[in-house]
Amino acid sequence: MEIAEQIESTVRDVGARVRPQLDDAKRRLTSLNGNITGYIKENPGRCLIGAIAIGFLVGKIARRA
Amino acid sequence: MRRMVAMETQEQKPSNGHSEEGGWVNESAHKAWDRTRGAVAELKRAAAIEERVNRNPYGSIAAALGIGYVLGGGIFTPLTSRIVALGLRIGIRLAVLPMLKDEISVLADALGGEGEVGEASKGRRGSKAAKPSSER
Repeated sequence: MEIAEQIESTVRDVGARVRPQLDDAKRRLTSLNGNITGYIKENPGRCLIGAIAIGFLVGKIARRA
Repeated sequence: MRRMVAMETQEQKPSNGHSEEGGWVNESAHKAWDRTRGAVAELKRAAAIEERVNRNPYGSIAAALGIGYVLGGGIFTPLTSRIVALGLRIGIRLAVLPMLKDEISVLADALGGEGEVGEASKGRRGSKAAKPSSER
């Protein structure tokens, strides 16, 4: 019984310690996603041409390998 | 004095030729750039690229990467075969697992129903002894 309580309290502690970091990471990822989609929407031509160029290079490398 | 003027004009001639050539090159480059811009604008309008990008930015980037990959000649390569094999494996798993789940649940329901029916028939028979399953 005591062991179960200890495990529960440890899990609670770890959760309390990790939760702010997880929230922060979530906020950062959401912000990054917003920035990326915003940039793509603002410069669609540049992004598409860049993506085609990157794909072309990857295709060339895959062909050589 | 005349000689001097003649020399000056002779010296200037090549530079004039260069400037004319440069002007022609510049003009043709401008024309080519205008044509390219026009073609790109036309393509954008025809394919509604901006709308597509606004609707699904990551998907359009992935599509552009795929187009570039194909243009780069990467379609018949071991990397492509690996990617296709991985995709097929994942797709088959995703498609087959729900089907298997459904089949198993139907089978379990059928077995459960049979068990219930068996129990009920046992109850109805009362004191009659049920046949063992090996004899059925």
